[in-house]
Amino acid sequence: MVSPGTNARYSRRRASNLMATVLSIAAAFFGLAWLASILTVLVVKGVGGLTLAVFTEMTPPPGGAGGLLNPIVGSLILTGLAVLFGTPLGILAGTYMAEYGRYSKLTMVVRFINDILLSAPSIVIGLFVYELMVARMGHFSAWAGAVALAILVIPVVVRTTEDMLLLVPNTLREASAALGVPQWLVIRDVAYRAARAGITTGILLAVARITGETAPLLFTALNNQFFSWNLNGPMSSLPVVIFQFALSPYEDWQQLAWTGALLITAAVLGLSILARMLASKKVLT
Amino acid sequence: MNLAIQTNVKERTETPAEGLEEKIVVRHLNFYYGEFRALADNNVNLYANKVTAFIGPSGCGKSTLLRVLNRIYDLYPNQRAEGEVLLDGENILKPTQDVNLLRAKVGMVFQKPTPFPMTIYENIAFGLRLYEQLPKSELDGRVEDALRRGALWDEVKDKLGASGLSLSGGQQQRLCIARTVAIRPEVILLDEPCSALDPISTAKIEELIDVLKREYTIAIVTHNMQQAARTSDYTAFMYLGELVEFSDTTQIFTNPKLEKTQDYITGRFG
Repeated sequence: MVSPGTNARYSRRRASNLMATVLSIAAAFFGLAWLASILTVLVVKGVGGLTLAVFTEMTPPPGGAGGLLNPIVGSLILTGLAVLFGTPLGILAGTYMAEYGRYSKLTMVVRFINDILLSAPSIVIGLFVYELMVARMGHFSAWAGAVALAILVIPVVVRTTEDMLLLVPNTLREASAALGVPQWLVIRDVAYRAARAGITTGILLAVARITGETAPLLFTALNNQFFSWNLNGPMSSLPVVIFQFALSPYEDWQQLAWTGALLITAAVLGLSILARMLASKKVLT
Repeated sequence: MNLAIQTNVKERTETPAEGLEEKIVVRHLNFYYGEFRALADNNVNLYANKVTAFIGPSGCGKSTLLRVLNRIYDLYPNQRAEGEVLLDGENILKPTQDVNLLRAKVGMVFQKPTPFPMTIYENIAFGLRLYEQLPKSELDGRVEDALRRGALWDEVKDKLGASGLSLSGGQQQRLCIARTVAIRPEVILLDEPCSALDPISTAKIEELIDVLKREYTIAIVTHNMQQAARTSDYTAFMYLGELVEFSDTTQIFTNPKLEKTQDYITGRFG
């Protein structure tokens, strides 16, 4: 028997294993380093402007004092409406694909189109809603912004709902059907329950995705210097304000942009962590 | 004396239907998965308050046959049955048959325990609420009754609010039996109910089958020949989609008519 230490093939294999390990660790650190530096810059630049005024005052004119109240509230309204429109549609479509139409051609077509929609550039969706709503209504509006964001929410929710329902073992469906439970009740009381954590995770990830979207809002909700509850008019949002303020030559605006970026990042990070925690609970409760 | 017993056995085996009520009658049943014919002209009777075992090598169609009896195969496209399955004289394969009502009458327990992702209490109450509107106190009583029939009550009575998934495999399977019994079916189909369980849980479930047959008609699919011999009154041996031999369990295991059956039960193949 050849001792492993002296076998040339074995040493070569050990060497290539070592090299691959080192390379993949290096690649992981390379990716992480960028993320860490982005977070560091955001915290360093943004934290200085993080005062109470940010949450209580309107966006200021250049040189004036102010905060980010209107874009924060605007973002919450737009995101909330988008989730309100997009989630039920997405869950229903995903339910059709996984439960009612699992073996149908329509499901395959919908899945294909949904995957395209999932990776569609968000600016295209912004322009689409501009044509569909803004151009026809003759003015920018929060409604249009919410619809544009909803179109981004739908494919994410469709995909996770379908995937999570497909993970629910068929034996569970058979077991419920064997009790004489009609299909809609099997879906509502057994399949949804088993997939609850996963579907919730999908919705959270969709929210995280639209929280930072700027492009679809530029052509739809636009921006508003003032606080507004009017869904028929333009509405301020954090990403658009950051976009506008960061490009401006005014230092106080740039500071507010950094602070806004920090707020969005913190929110997205929080949502993602929440989603991970839910997902780690597995499909079943 | 000895002679008397022998004649008695002989009579029973030759005319198994005498004095017995036919609960389910399967006639000329063919079953297809797409183009593939999985069951070929099966004929068998399930007698009321008797346990009928289905044995045979893997892929012989015994589970398929069981899945016809409550039309659970209906959940999947491309699966279809031809022939007749009479439940109390009514053909359940007719297109107008309400499958949910059928399944409430013909309950089924599966190979792998399948507790629903709910509390132990809700696992039982879920099916009950479907067909009956019961006041809370009566519902509690029915849940307790079902868990007692499932020989599980003593182990779970203090944690009815715990998740059904927190139970051990054997307990989960008894929960599934209790759940099936709760809605008071007439027939219970057991599809290899013990194959995922340890010997102690298996023994508990076999005892349970013995008790349950007083009230229900039972069909059990099993890979375990001893289990078939222990639990059943009648046994059907299946091979390659055909129902080769159906008879009194004692006869099948001591004096089968066909060589194929003999070979299988003595472990020469399968």
